[in-house]
Amino acid sequence: MLSTLIQKELKGIILSPKFTATFAICSILILLSVFTGIREYEAVSDQYDSATSLVEQELQDESNWGHMSTRSIRKPDPMQIFVSGLTYDIGRWSHVESTRPIKLKHSPYSDDPIFAMFRHIDFVFIFQFVLSLFAILFTFDAINGERESGMLKLVFSNSIPRAKYLIAKIIGSWLGLILPISIPILLSILLVIIMGVPMNAIHWATLATLIALSVLMFTFFISLGVAISAWTKRSSVSFLLSLVIWVMFVLIIPRASVAAAEQMVPVPRISEIESIREAYANDRWKTFYDISEERWMTSSNMNEEESEEERDRAMWDNMVLEDSLRRIVEIEIEEYEVRLLEELRQRKAGQERLAFGFSRISPSSAYQLAASGLAGTDIEMKDRFEESMSQFRSSFVDFTEKKQAESGNTGGIMISISTETGIDIKDGSDNSALDLTDIPKYEQPRRSYAQAFNSTIIDFGLLAFATLLMFVASFIGFLRYDVR
Amino acid sequence: MLKIIIEREIKDIVSSTKFAVTFAVCVILILASFYVGAAHYNLNKQQYDASVAENLRQMEGLTEWYSVRQHKVFMPPQPLAALVTGISNDIGQTADMLAGSQVITEGSRYNEDPIFAVFRFLDLEFIFQIVLSLFAILLGYDAISGEKERGTLRLTFASNLPRRTYILGKLIGSFAALSSSLIVALGLGCLFLPMMGVPMSGDEWIRLLIIAGSGLLYFGVFLTGSLFVSAMTQRSSSSFLLLLVAWILAVMIIPRASVLTAARAVEVPSVDHIANQRSSLASQLWAESRDAMTNFKPDIDDDDPEAMMKIGSMFSQFMDSLGTIRNDQMSEFSDRINEERFNAQQIQQNLSFNLARISPSTSMKLATSNLAGTSLELTKHFRDETRAYHKVVGDFIREKTGMNPHGGMIIKINDGSEEPEPIDPSELPSFEYKPIRTATAINAALPDIGLLALFNFLFFTGAVISFGRYDVR
Amino acid sequence: MINEISKQPSPMLQTNNLTKRYEDGVLALDSLTLEVNPGELFVMLGGNGAGKTTTINLFLNFIEPTSGEASINGIVTHKEPLEAKKHVAFVSENVMLYQNFTAIQNLDFFSKIGGHSDLSRDDYRDVLNRVGLAEDAHNKRLKGFSKGMRQKCGIAIAILKDAPAILLDEPTAGLDPKAGYEFIRLLDSLRSENKAILMSTHDIFRAKEIADTIAIMDSGRMIMKEPAANLADQNLEELYLQYMAGHDTKAAG
Repeated sequence: MLSTLIQKELKGIILSPKFTATFAICSILILLSVFTGIREYEAVSDQYDSATSLVEQELQDESNWGHMSTRSIRKPDPMQIFVSGLTYDIGRWSHVESTRPIKLKHSPYSDDPIFAMFRHIDFVFIFQFVLSLFAILFTFDAINGERESGMLKLVFSNSIPRAKYLIAKIIGSWLGLILPISIPILLSILLVIIMGVPMNAIHWATLATLIALSVLMFTFFISLGVAISAWTKRSSVSFLLSLVIWVMFVLIIPRASVAAAEQMVPVPRISEIESIREAYANDRWKTFYDISEERWMTSSNMNEEESEEERDRAMWDNMVLEDSLRRIVEIEIEEYEVRLLEELRQRKAGQERLAFGFSRISPSSAYQLAASGLAGTDIEMKDRFEESMSQFRSSFVDFTEKKQAESGNTGGIMISISTETGIDIKDGSDNSALDLTDIPKYEQPRRSYAQAFNSTIIDFGLLAFATLLMFVASFIGFLRYDVR
Repeated sequence: MLKIIIEREIKDIVSSTKFAVTFAVCVILILASFYVGAAHYNLNKQQYDASVAENLRQMEGLTEWYSVRQHKVFMPPQPLAALVTGISNDIGQTADMLAGSQVITEGSRYNEDPIFAVFRFLDLEFIFQIVLSLFAILLGYDAISGEKERGTLRLTFASNLPRRTYILGKLIGSFAALSSSLIVALGLGCLFLPMMGVPMSGDEWIRLLIIAGSGLLYFGVFLTGSLFVSAMTQRSSSSFLLLLVAWILAVMIIPRASVLTAARAVEVPSVDHIANQRSSLASQLWAESRDAMTNFKPDIDDDDPEAMMKIGSMFSQFMDSLGTIRNDQMSEFSDRINEERFNAQQIQQNLSFNLARISPSTSMKLATSNLAGTSLELTKHFRDETRAYHKVVGDFIREKTGMNPHGGMIIKINDGSEEPEPIDPSELPSFEYKPIRTATAINAALPDIGLLALFNFLFFTGAVISFGRYDVR
Repeated sequence: MINEISKQPSPMLQTNNLTKRYEDGVLALDSLTLEVNPGELFVMLGGNGAGKTTTINLFLNFIEPTSGEASINGIVTHKEPLEAKKHVAFVSENVMLYQNFTAIQNLDFFSKIGGHSDLSRDDYRDVLNRVGLAEDAHNKRLKGFSKGMRQKCGIAIAILKDAPAILLDEPTAGLDPKAGYEFIRLLDSLRSENKAILMSTHDIFRAKEIADTIAIMDSGRMIMKEPAANLADQNLEELYLQYMAGHDTKAAG
């Protein structure tokens, strides 16, 4: 009996004219999104390759360990094909040097704003905007449409339990909509393989999870449509209602919650923080220079003989002292900065929690958050890269400083002015290639599948809960539904 | 006769549940977008003022202008940009005035505060683009085919009513009813701006007026388009399906797909590529300077008691002149390759946009972002503004210190005889950002507004013609 | 009379003081008591809002009775709806059926949910031929069907269910005279298969032509019930109007 009912639902969907249209559109869109995603990934991978080799070249061209700097570059990840997330919004690389903290800059969109004008289409976008709409369009009249055509009366003049009918309805519509989208999904996986995207086991597992997540989101919208149609008598009402709910869930709630959080938890701009840091640094250096000036001045108050004697005696000590004091100031500034940034990060985290907490009222944004979390293109992405780059920065700086100390070459420009020999200017470069064999290399941050999955558990749970809620709502609505 | 049809149409629409619901949603969303925009602007303004103040404060206490290591300017928030964000959040909004000879704008809002990049902004343009168009379709898809299904079409044409009068009345009536309600919503939304203390100049009001006008035109495109499709199909369910597919294509797919295809067709050298070229030139120039430096031999009398001081200042001058030469070479080179990239980008941009203009959604977006000053033009405009200011700052520093601010090396010998005076950061000329001029903005938006009007006209005519052949049975 | 001879101890369709008052207070059906025996065709006549459709809805448990009960084959419908519905087939006023399915596909689905999963395409063809649907329409989608053709499919579905009771809600409304005639002949042949048939209609002439028992309903009450044979010589239309008028004055008084 159940299978008869399911079969009927399935047939009903597949034979309807809207099915052909939507199926064609979905297939084209999914394949198009994956294809352009792959092309885009290839382009950024090429860019990454040439940039890394340039960075290596730059290091090789260095002739001095002193104040050596390099750049760390964010490596594109194949998952961005499916979930571009923040990939294009976040900077591609950062300077790595002792004087400046890590800061990702040059986001792909800021480099080529033309793409920012309309943004990219990815798999998640298609599911979130197009398939959710289609799911609702196929189910908004699932119950009341049958009532309007008198079919419910005819069906329930037979001894069919309502629950069974509803289960069949949901399963049938689900199968009827899932089967057709599974074809382009499989084709796009084939495309990924054929076009040689370097996917490892973690990527495949993540992709499988992503597909499962997308199907869950799709199921939610199917059950939402069924629930709405089980609570309304007329399909024109349920159509309007489901469209309004769709607009709210997909378009409004996510954006409105970020806007609300922006107002409720104000976060200072990074430029303000940077200026505060700069003010502190200026202040510290000023004190430092004042003290050191005073120290040198002590010699100038003496007569020539004394001062020469004092200089010979204390010069080396003073230089060593000054150097260590300089280090202390540097460390202090850096610690101050870390504290400032940590505070900023805390505030931002508070803002994010609030914004995303609100936005999760909408299963559509829960889906987006989970998908980007899975793919690693979520809001944590920037922190993750900056953190790993900071680690690299400290090991890089330590290494070069150690090397510099070993080589004894101070780098920079040495100007000696003497009354005997006049001015003598040397720059520290000794023009011989440096031994770069042990130099630390930047390691891209790694995430295990478990980490990726764990970040999505809440949203997965929310989606599943919302879907269940809709099922229950459909059942309650339909069990008391007036079939006349 | 026409009047009767128009009146009936208006009454019919205004009394329908569908209208009540969609109108309520539209009003709420439009009001929300104005409110959010105003609040966002105010917050941004605060943050901007705080950043500028902090930037000046960090210079306090310094005794020499050349020891100012950081002077940054930021893109000031614009009220219209809060309503039509365009690409303003995607491009660099900060420029360091002392970092080097080249002004680089960096720090895009989305990069700095990725929270906004996740779902992006609820701005007016977004409401126009997605919600208005969707609702236009919703209100128009069964205008003709629905009447046929209900049988009222046959009844109407049982009288001696010319078809043309009927369809004209329908078009005018529905547009009048819907656009007047939208105008009310937009008007109410505008009230938020003065109420929340957003400073708007007369020019900005004019721009906003034209933005709202483009929004209405865009709404008109989808409304006339819906009537057109409705007058071509026999059943309202098929006209809805057709329109929905068209909507998805027009709003979501065509703009993105055409930009992606066209952009790939034109090769634009990547930023990395340019940076590479610049850095290799810079290191080459630096190497040359270094050679010159090591050969620096001042012609000075050793017995001169002032020798030290003289050598110092001569070396400073020498370095200064080296710096200037390097600078000139660098900026000439940068200008050239940036120009090349800019030209390539222009070609790419024109090609993509022209292709994307198949969709009225593109035209609306381009028109409104041009009017709000947040189109692609903003990248160049902000860069030009910061460059002009960069020169002002350079002149100021040179005047204050007598040194080239980008010479890269400063030697200062203090004999301790005088207590250095702290600098006064307020002396620094402030960055007066001038947004894109209204006339320029309107001119840039005109072709797209024209295109929207053309779409209206085409669909209008299409609706009239196909209704002339419509099977009213 | 044949019917009286073959009368069986238990009626197939039966209501007992069946009353339905809607939430808005409208009394749609006021203690209706009727019996329909196998082989009997019971016709309910009445205007809109008389309670005919409410009666059928109560038989099918689409609504719950306020008091009293309706039973099919002795099974009280609101107590054991699923069991009761096994014994009844239903033809509605405007049979839409699944527009994207062919006639055969519709039959297939409804015979399966009606409890007959063993039927073959030939059975469907036979029954469609029996109800008079042209052969070339069997495999066409219902989208293009006229009301008469759809009604034929509806009755074919009822026949296939092979239930001892059949409920028909205004089945002849909107049919052309030929289709209406064919429909009546079909009902006649079903009656001869010993089905208990309860039909509601506005159509006085058809009622008189075929009914075994005629009842006139008004405002939820059955104001007349007579074997059709007793009315054979009378002008039913006059009688109907007469009863209605009488009831109205009664109600008014």
